[in-house]
Amino acid sequence: MVTIEQFIEQFLAAVDFQDPVEVKADTKLLDLPEWDSLAALATIVLFDTEYGKVIVGPDIAKCVTVGDLYALMG
Amino acid sequence: MSQCTLRNVRFAGMATCVPKRVFHNIDDAPPAIRSERERLCRNIGIYTRRLCPDWQTFSDLAFEATEKLLADLKWNKADIDALIIVGQSPDYLTPATAIILQDRLQLPQTTIAYDVNLGCSGYPFGLHLVGSMIASGAIKKGLLLVGDRAGEEKDPLFSDAGTVTALEFDPNAPPMHFDLNSDGSGHKAIILPVGGHREPVEISHLVGRRDEGGYWRFGTDLVLDGPAVLSFSTQRVPPAVESLLSHVGMSKDEIDFFVFHQANKMINETIRKKLRLPEEKVPSTLRDFGNTSGASLPVTMTARMRDALAQGKKRVLLCGFGIGLSWGTAIVDIDSGVFPALIEA
Repeated sequence: MVTIEQFIEQFLAAVDFQDPVEVKADTKLLDLPEWDSLAALATIVLFDTEYGKVIVGPDIAKCVTVGDLYALMG
Repeated sequence: MSQCTLRNVRFAGMATCVPKRVFHNIDDAPPAIRSERERLCRNIGIYTRRLCPDWQTFSDLAFEATEKLLADLKWNKADIDALIIVGQSPDYLTPATAIILQDRLQLPQTTIAYDVNLGCSGYPFGLHLVGSMIASGAIKKGLLLVGDRAGEEKDPLFSDAGTVTALEFDPNAPPMHFDLNSDGSGHKAIILPVGGHREPVEISHLVGRRDEGGYWRFGTDLVLDGPAVLSFSTQRVPPAVESLLSHVGMSKDEIDFFVFHQANKMINETIRKKLRLPEEKVPSTLRDFGNTSGASLPVTMTARMRDALAQGKKRVLLCGFGIGLSWGTAIVDIDSGVFPALIEA
């Protein structure tokens, strides 16, 4: 099982922000300056290729925090 | 029909023409969005694209490619039985561009000529269509013209290209295998919503607004649901490829090249990894030519595989996917084909 810390590390590698940013489980996605459609696509790919879990756009749209994304792993 | 096999169809050759004009996704973007563009380009894998100048159309590119291929093949124009265009960039809304090209190419009036409205998925479907005419015995020689003028400066994905593939009747040709699919429930995932009869162009659609990069956006622009397209591509394509291989009893080791529609790096790499394919068997032209819509398979074959295809028989798997939604895969053996170098016009 991937821990929240491991998830945040993999999440940051996937979304590939230009400017470094500190992320915690309760960080709101909309507070991340570069959280955008590209980051959402990267998150879908991360779940599919690393965790074998299929998520879709509306799943991400329901998430408020990074912790909510982590919870999608189920 | 999901899977089928065509016999007696020989893949005789292919030519590709792209515009001379090179557009750089980062350096030619407005300074305000260059940092954002750097990140985007890293992830979509597209750095330069080829864009038609205002006067140039898809059919201009396809015309150049066809003249070159017919000359290199030494085919007599009087022997061409069919010219089919698969694409979504007609010269006019009507009549069909293929008919205009019949005259421009000086093909006989006995040529079957019409257009098929498919985009990124189009190549395997076109191969199946012209191949079926030949396999049925109805015609002996056919031309398949695939591509689009889909590129715009403001959109970092799409790039222009025109291509031609020559197919002919040959009782000794190896079989071609196909897996072809459609899912219209996803028709809004990539759509040009305005300009048809459902929503004709009105003045309000032509009132633009400037986006953060300073580019004008209009109601007549293409609408693309990124997450939906990503999910469709990465969920549907790998099983379709596995399914066709299984149907014909081939292993991945028996395929020399897997050529996928060049959508973007994120999609293409996910598909490659899910199918566990080595990079050297999966050529890419995303970096230099972007997403050339239905032309991306021929663009990649011409730009990356020409030398290999000239060195004897190769078995290639060709997979297109996109707008429709539509996805198709073909397995084709190519031997002694004619592949002129990339043409720039």
